[in-house]
Amino acid sequence: MRLLPSFSLHRPRTLREALELLRDLDEAKPFAGGTDLLLDLREGVCQAKHLVDLGRVEELRYIREADGKIRIGAITTYTQLLRSELIAANVPVLREAAACVGSVQTRNMGTIGGNLCNASPGADTAPPLLILDAELTIASLEGSRSIPLSGLFAGPKMNSLRPGELLTEIRFPIPPAGSGASFHKLGRRRGYTLSLINAAAFLEVGSDVCREARVAIGACAPTPIRMSTLEGMLRGKRLCRRLIEEAASACHGLVKPSTRAHARASVDYRRAMSSVLTRRALMDAWERARGNLR
Amino acid sequence: MRITFKLNGRKVECETKPNQTLLNLLRVDLGLTSVKKGCEQGECGACTILLDGLPVNSCLVLAPQVEVRRITTSEGLADDQVMEALRRAFMEDGAIQCGFCTPGTLLSAYALLKENPKPTEEEVKTAIVGNICRCTGYVKIIEAVLDAAERMQAE
Repeated sequence: MRLLPSFSLHRPRTLREALELLRDLDEAKPFAGGTDLLLDLREGVCQAKHLVDLGRVEELRYIREADGKIRIGAITTYTQLLRSELIAANVPVLREAAACVGSVQTRNMGTIGGNLCNASPGADTAPPLLILDAELTIASLEGSRSIPLSGLFAGPKMNSLRPGELLTEIRFPIPPAGSGASFHKLGRRRGYTLSLINAAAFLEVGSDVCREARVAIGACAPTPIRMSTLEGMLRGKRLCRRLIEEAASACHGLVKPSTRAHARASVDYRRAMSSVLTRRALMDAWERARGNLR
Repeated sequence: MRITFKLNGRKVECETKPNQTLLNLLRVDLGLTSVKKGCEQGECGACTILLDGLPVNSCLVLAPQVEVRRITTSEGLADDQVMEALRRAFMEDGAIQCGFCTPGTLLSAYALLKENPKPTEEEVKTAIVGNICRCTGYVKIIEAVLDAAERMQAE
C-alpha cells in the first residue's frame, strides 16, 4: 500500500479560521471525515499541499429544527444522523440511507457534508436529500450563498465549489403530513457495499391523488439526478400500483449510466435495475404516505 | 509535531507527522501490536480502535487528529469485564482461527455490548460488518458475541 504523500495539516476551531486558511494557503483541501479523501490522496487520485481539517469546527456539527426546516451541519457524521430523534421522527428516508453507508467504522468518521462534496455519482445521502428538496449554504469570506443540492454536483467526483468556499449546512423542509419517502440501494452484497445504483422517492398523497412526486437516482449518470419526466407522470394522478409500475419502467429509458470500462456494473444492468429500485422506492414511499409503514 | 492524547487510560505525549496514520503511530511507534495493518483502505477492519468509545479504522485517521481525544485498543481492555466475557466466548465458541481479525472484531463487539447489552443477531451482524474474517465464516463470531451478551446478563 502506498504511503500518504506529505502535506501540512491545519486544524482550525472556527469556520472563520477555516475559511481564512483556505483563502491563504496554496492548494489547500478541506478535510472532513477522511474516509474518501485519505484514500484518494494515498492512491494519487488527488493532491494537496495543505489539508484543512474541519473536525474541530464544532459550529458545523448540529442537527436542529428551525422555521419548519431541518438543518444539518456539514461535519455531522452518519452515526450522529442515525442517533438523531429529529431525523428518525421526520425523515426516516435519510436514516435508511445513512444506515447503509459503509461499516460502523466508516459511519463513525464519515460526514454528510463530505459525502456530498466528494460528489460520487453513487453517494448514498444524495438521492434522499434530492427528493427532500435540500438546499445548501456555501460559505466563503465574502459571505454565504444558498444553492439547491443539485447545483453542487458538477460531474463524477467533482463539486461546483469555488476555491475558498465551504459547504456549511444542508437543510430541507420537514415533509408534510400525508407524505412519505423511501430509499433503496443495490450493491454487490447486502451490507457494507458501494451502491451499484440507488434511488429515493417522495410522494405526497391526498384522497388517493398524488399531490407531489419526487424521484432521484444515483450511479446512473455522471451525478445523482432528479427524474423530472417520471415525476410528471405521477403528479396530479390518482395513485395506484399500475401507475407506479408504469412510471418506474420509464426509468429504464431515461437514465444514462456511465459506459466507462471500470464502471461497477454494465449499462444494461443499471438501466434495468433503475426501474426496479425506483418501483421499490415509490411503493414504500406510498405505503409511508398512507401511514402503513414506519 | 507533538501531540497529547489519552491511550488506554494513560496520557501519552509523542512526536508524529501530519501524514502519519493513527495505525502507524499505534502499531509501529508505540508498539501496540493488537492494532493490525491489513488493507489500509478502510475495508478490512483489522486496524479498528475505539476513538472516544466509537470503533473507527485507524488507517483512515491521521495521528494528529487524536489530539486530546481518547483511544482504546484491546490491550487497554485486558481487565474489562465486558471484554473478558467476549474473549472467553470467542475462545470457547471457536470464533478464532488465525487471530488476525480478532482484536478489531472484539473491539467492534465490545462497542456494541457497551451500548446495547442485549443485541439481536441482526444487530451483531451490523456491528461487525466492517471486520473481515477469512477463517471462521462469521457464524461462530456472531454466536460468540450473542453468548457473551447472554453470560453478562446471567452474571
